Amino acid sequence: MEEKNNFVVAADLIMGVLLILFGGSVVRASLKMKVYKTFLDAPGFFPLLLGIIFIILGTIIAVSAIRRNGYTQMKRIFTRISFTELFKSIRFRRVTALVALMVLYIFILIGRVHFALATAIYLFLTLFYLKSTTIIKIIIISIITSLAISGVFTMFFHIPLP
Amino acid sequence: MLEMFLQESTLFWTSFSSTLTLLNLTVIMVAVVLGIIIGAIPGLTATMALALLINLTYGVEFDVAISFLLGIYVGAIMGGCYSAIMINIPGTPAAAATALDGFILAKQGKGGLAIGTGVISSFMGMLVGIVMLVFLTPFLYKIALKFGQWEFFLLAVFGVMICGNLSTGTYPIKGWIVGFLGFFTAMIGLDQIYAFPRFTFGYLQLKGGISLIPALIGVFGISEILIVLQEQIPYKILGKIGRIVPSWKAIRSLIPTAIRSGLIGVGIGAVPGAGEDIGAWVAYDIGKRRSKQGAKYGTGCLEGVAAAETANNAVIGGAMIPLLTLAIPGSPPSAMFLAAIWLHGVRPGPMLPIEHPGFLYLIASTIFLASVFMLIYGLLLAKPMATILKIKREVLMPIILPLTVIGAFAGGMRSFDIKVAFAFGIFGYILRQLDYPMAPLVLGIILGPLADISFRQALMQSRGSLIPLLGRPIGLILLAAILLIIYSGIRRTLEYSREQHRPNTLKPE
Repeated sequence: MEEKNNFVVAADLIMGVLLILFGGSVVRASLKMKVYKTFLDAPGFFPLLLGIIFIILGTIIAVSAIRRNGYTQMKRIFTRISFTELFKSIRFRRVTALVALMVLYIFILIGRVHFALATAIYLFLTLFYLKSTTIIKIIIISIITSLAISGVFTMFFHIPLP
Repeated sequence: MLEMFLQESTLFWTSFSSTLTLLNLTVIMVAVVLGIIIGAIPGLTATMALALLINLTYGVEFDVAISFLLGIYVGAIMGGCYSAIMINIPGTPAAAATALDGFILAKQGKGGLAIGTGVISSFMGMLVGIVMLVFLTPFLYKIALKFGQWEFFLLAVFGVMICGNLSTGTYPIKGWIVGFLGFFTAMIGLDQIYAFPRFTFGYLQLKGGISLIPALIGVFGISEILIVLQEQIPYKILGKIGRIVPSWKAIRSLIPTAIRSGLIGVGIGAVPGAGEDIGAWVAYDIGKRRSKQGAKYGTGCLEGVAAAETANNAVIGGAMIPLLTLAIPGSPPSAMFLAAIWLHGVRPGPMLPIEHPGFLYLIASTIFLASVFMLIYGLLLAKPMATILKIKREVLMPIILPLTVIGAFAGGMRSFDIKVAFAFGIFGYILRQLDYPMAPLVLGIILGPLADISFRQALMQSRGSLIPLLGRPIGLILLAAILLIIYSGIRRTLEYSREQHRPNTLKPE
């Protein structure tokens, strides 16, 4: 729990800095937007205020993180040992793999092959990686689920598939 | 007065009788059962279910769509108590407080009683919520009619900030950051007054802005898949369920708790974006302090289960109040419901009773019927639910992703929306790992356009002056509330920082 708190403190410091930078870029972009009649009703006025709010909130969270030893925690976390431990952790590897499978499904398979086939491939690979059940059951679940989803949404709800 | 009463009564009976068709009753029943199952399975939430199913209702009749979505909502909020009691993992965040006493009761062999108490308490909470919805909403319509541009702007800011305050406990700044990021997300695309492209970076797809439903599907669907699957947490169901329906004497003893918790739930529900989980925790906490049985809370007390479950379902009625009167959702699932009725061309707000006179009573009637089915099937499904809970999350959660893809695609038929959902899913996952709440993000995206337009129009009308605001009492009250929230939030943030910065010392008990 303490390790998680230390990580969150370091992340708060980084988030604060990113928010300040983000707010600054929003302010800059807002000031460049066209003014039609007056600046108060211009498209850039409300985003300008948001940018300023981000800078203020970013400063508060960064200062709060520094008071909670955020800088020390950040130096401790951003070491080679710490990164090695992170990359070896089960949670990190599981999430990375799941995201990679989602990227494969959404950005590569969908649109190139039929939705049912894309879904079956995605489900097979994901269930296999997660060791959800036996290989035979994984194959059956992948095929039946992808056909069922495709069939129900096209024939019952009349929704075209991506 | 009598004429108004007769008019409202006629509207009520007309709306109620329109919900009593065989098709409508069947849809509500199926939706409630589906909602109960969805709510019971850890990892599937009411918000996710509604986000995925909104676009599917586009091609169906409006009444059927409303019945379906409300049925899912009512069922799912109650359904969370099954897994909270049986396996100590709340099926939905709303059932987190239920687990404190519910699981202990299950270990004592009284799991069935706990479930029965939860179901009956949920029904009582729904009744309190419906009564308050029907009687309070007409008064709030009258107040909402006095809202001008300043009031709408301040209300939008107030909504995001109070939601941020309530969703983060000790560190409200994080809630505000996420809320204002939601505002910013709503700025992307063509400006509503001059059609000037903002933050589109030359991309044609971004000129249409970030669609609400794909963003919600990403935040509540895809990020939830990653949260649930990031670790393998095995669980098993303890012991037998046993008797389910409590004795009449036990039910009677819970009525004072039900009324108190129901009113708390309605009150919390009426606060923008607060949600069922906050309602349940507040009611549980107050019950623990105020009830004669308070000392027993946390040791396997049926009253603890009743307090939490009554409140979380009463929130549904409460959340409908700001939704119908001001188009501001009172909870994340009701935000989905708002998106759904927008999709069907109904614009909630002060003009709703004029444009759709019986809509309030239609909602109340549908919720009432859904509650009745929830009571019946909630008790009937208690024993079969043990089988459903055996489905491994590692099998179920990957199946959700194709549903999120279709849900994101169905609204605009753009593959870009699928990518938006994915991006928000990853963004939502990262923020949740860093203890940022998601409810303010949802509220910010919904209220962003309102805040932008209202603020600029208010300034245009007053030629840049803030002085007209001083003559508007509702606006001043909202402004005072915002300043109070800022003061309280910053104070809590500084206290939190000081507390964390203090060196570790042994504190006396």
